[in-house]
Amino acid sequence: MKNGRDCPGGKQPPGNHSFPPVSDETLAGSHEILSRRHRRDRLIRAVWFACAFFAVIIIFFILAFLLFDAYPVFFEIGIWDFLTGMVWNPTGSPPAYGIYPLIVDSLLVTILAMAISIPLGVGSAIYIAELAPSRVKAIVKPAVELLAGIPSVVFGFFGLIVLTDWIRVNFDVPTGETWLAGSILLGVMALPTIISVSEDAISSAPREVREGSFALGATHWQTISRVVTPAALSGITAAIILGIGRAVGETMAVLMVTGNAAVIPDPIWNVLSPVRTLTGTLGIEMGEVAIGSTHYHALFGIAVVLLGITLAINLFATVILARIKEKHMAVNACSPKKSGTGEKQWFARYMQKYKNILAGIVLGLVLLAVFGLMGLLAALLGYSAFRLIQGRISPKWTQRVAFSLIVFCILSVLFALGVILYDIIANGLPYLTWEFLTAPPSNLGRSGGIFPAIVGTMYLVAGAIAIALPIGIGAAIYLTEYTREGRATKIIRTGTDLLNGTPSIVFGLFGFAFLVIYLGFGVSLIAGQITLALMVLPTIIRTTEESLRTVPVSAREGSLALGATKWQTIRKVILPPSVPGIVTGTILSIGRAAGETAPILFTAVVFSTRFLPDSLFDPVMALPYHLYILATNVPGAKGQQYATALVLLGLVVAFYALAIWIRHRSAAACKW
Amino acid sequence: MVNLMSEQSIIRTSNLNLWYGEKTALKDISMEVPDRRVTALIGPSGCGKSTLIRCFNRMNDLVDICRITGRIDFHGNNIYAKESDPVEIRRKIGMVFQKPNPFPKSIYENVAYGPRIHGMNDKKRLDEIVEKSLRNAALWEEVKERLQDSAMGLSGGQQQRLCIARTLAVEPEVILMDEPCSALDPIATSKIETLINDLKKQYCVIIVTHNMQQAARVSDYTGFMYLGEMIECGTTTQIFEHPKEELTENYITGRFG
Repeated sequence: MKNGRDCPGGKQPPGNHSFPPVSDETLAGSHEILSRRHRRDRLIRAVWFACAFFAVIIIFFILAFLLFDAYPVFFEIGIWDFLTGMVWNPTGSPPAYGIYPLIVDSLLVTILAMAISIPLGVGSAIYIAELAPSRVKAIVKPAVELLAGIPSVVFGFFGLIVLTDWIRVNFDVPTGETWLAGSILLGVMALPTIISVSEDAISSAPREVREGSFALGATHWQTISRVVTPAALSGITAAIILGIGRAVGETMAVLMVTGNAAVIPDPIWNVLSPVRTLTGTLGIEMGEVAIGSTHYHALFGIAVVLLGITLAINLFATVILARIKEKHMAVNACSPKKSGTGEKQWFARYMQKYKNILAGIVLGLVLLAVFGLMGLLAALLGYSAFRLIQGRISPKWTQRVAFSLIVFCILSVLFALGVILYDIIANGLPYLTWEFLTAPPSNLGRSGGIFPAIVGTMYLVAGAIAIALPIGIGAAIYLTEYTREGRATKIIRTGTDLLNGTPSIVFGLFGFAFLVIYLGFGVSLIAGQITLALMVLPTIIRTTEESLRTVPVSAREGSLALGATKWQTIRKVILPPSVPGIVTGTILSIGRAAGETAPILFTAVVFSTRFLPDSLFDPVMALPYHLYILATNVPGAKGQQYATALVLLGLVVAFYALAIWIRHRSAAACKW
Repeated sequence: MVNLMSEQSIIRTSNLNLWYGEKTALKDISMEVPDRRVTALIGPSGCGKSTLIRCFNRMNDLVDICRITGRIDFHGNNIYAKESDPVEIRRKIGMVFQKPNPFPKSIYENVAYGPRIHGMNDKKRLDEIVEKSLRNAALWEEVKERLQDSAMGLSGGQQQRLCIARTLAVEPEVILMDEPCSALDPIATSKIETLINDLKKQYCVIIVTHNMQQAARVSDYTGFMYLGEMIECGTTTQIFEHPKEELTENYITGRFG
């Protein structure tokens, strides 16, 4: 009987159904390929793990370092006295280190800012996602994203020159540098973030669900308010948290317009009182403090408190988010939820109720503390009036009213941003000459140009992104693709969230204490780059994670089922459609890095130098810092101020425009 | 024009044309749909049957580039007339989609959604409506213990029946079903088919299906579509046993499609 071995390559006789033999060579070959692929996969996994690990470690490191520098103050003054002392006067004799007024002022500014920007932002997001005709959407959406890039110091500059003046005249007060000015400015600043992220969330509500609601005869507004928005709630919450984070942590703009008097407004709702925030205090005093003094440690104490507040906000938000998810969102469509025993369900329900009450109490307390009984009553009245009206008016009228409000929101937003842009462009353009762009400054920036500042900013941003992007993407890949949801991922995610909400000035403090002083880098380019990189890292991780998550499980399974390794699946199937999301995250990061002043304030910048940096260890000029000093310390340079603001704006907006264009192109190619 | 016997017709389309941008999707469709019967639309993929069914409750309005001429009369009123309100039409003409699309809410809230948006806030009445609708959709026994659980935790077949219950809860006159079983297994499919049979006692049901056996099993009338045209309409028995057109016969006998 013939078999394959006797006639290699020969024809099989008809009727013989044995398989053709496979030579040992090919088998060995495929084995080798397999094991090589396997080894490579393991290596890659290790790299991503290192990234994620780094991201977590750095948070704890920052925290530890701040605490280390802050603990003397708790020791000398006592935690309680430090937190509840009513007077902050570190240069008086005897010096007083009570930060209670600073804490209250920070909260007040943030709350009012959010009261302005949450309704406007969410309303605008709904308009863009749901109501805008596609042509309007094509213009407004990228425009809002572009506006996210307006650096905070530009807002601060505008606030200082225009807004405070407007408040002074219209409210007839001696100075316009007030709580109100700070809140309006912060509210406007938080808008682009809130709008962009909410809009993404609303738009990503599945079309089927929307159609399901329409098919039941729901009006457009009913569909938006009862199906689409609830489904997008976690995204909107994330947007609001990002907005709050931006507001609490904002230093420069607030510092420039709030008057910086460390007093609690009297009465507490007097929005025309000057205030001083925690961040503002750090921004003003850190540069002048003697290293190692009580005052120095007290400032680190403030940074720790600031960090503590952001932590509390984030944790609170996480709890709310988890509750929403539990209640509304899909658990896992493929695995039907195991319905527990009756007892357990009862317990879960009890817990839910309990959480509701707890959240209510906390909210009530906050309201009570801030606005007194009046505010609480007003809120209750407003809510009950809303409930009453809701049932009585025909859906059509509700829709008409709601849509008018939404259009009002988007118009106010566009108006506010338009005014700011117009003011800066109209006043800056006449001074924008070739010489201004290419010459070094002279006479303290009153003449000459800003060339070294432009170059310095570009160096800083490029370095920061080069450091943060690979680590951030790696960490995100590890978190979404390689880990099962468990305690470890929870810790890492909480860590990144915490880092994300960390005010930029805190990074500045850390960079100063660790990089500049402890490692002995001095005030230098590299210190600024690393500080900025740490600051943008969480943004990159979060946005990357989010876009990776939007790739459906079925796509992953499809690839794995074809015998692809994990890494091949990630690289070929999961990453390409995620690119637009990652680019968005990077855009936001570039904008932040280019526009931020606080982190580089003490780590990298000098006000005036004729030279470009020779090495990474030279200090640089940077546009935002230049603008800040020009606006606050150099009288008689109005033209230069506006022109600098315009250049900074133009630079950032150009970055943004490019990135948005790239994303737009890749987005067209792929849609789930 | 194809006439459907002597039945009381509830929907009548006349010379309906539809374009997606430049592309013609429906050509000169004229047909009548009888009340309290099941009418099936069959035809190969891309023949326009889903497009047609989405015209009946103006779901195509949501597609930007869609343009329509001709008329569709519901109880003798043109639903594409200027003064007619798509929201009102969709309340009376419900729809069940190809892929189950429950809202990311609890089972109870899914069913209560429709009555609520139409102004029903009485908790007791809502409870009754939810129970009745779930019973009519043959889902009550399976979910009565866990009405507050997320609807997303249900199986595909249960989700689809939930979507039907959701539609029944607003008490429409017509129920459109766009390949309601294409994502389901045979057991879930047979449950839905039994349900369709019950539904026609109270409702006019129009079902799009690419499964000819299903059309033969559940429908009283059948329309065969091809490349955007209505080739032939008639009783299901006639279409399947004595098709008048050669195209229909070829499709029925599986020679293409």
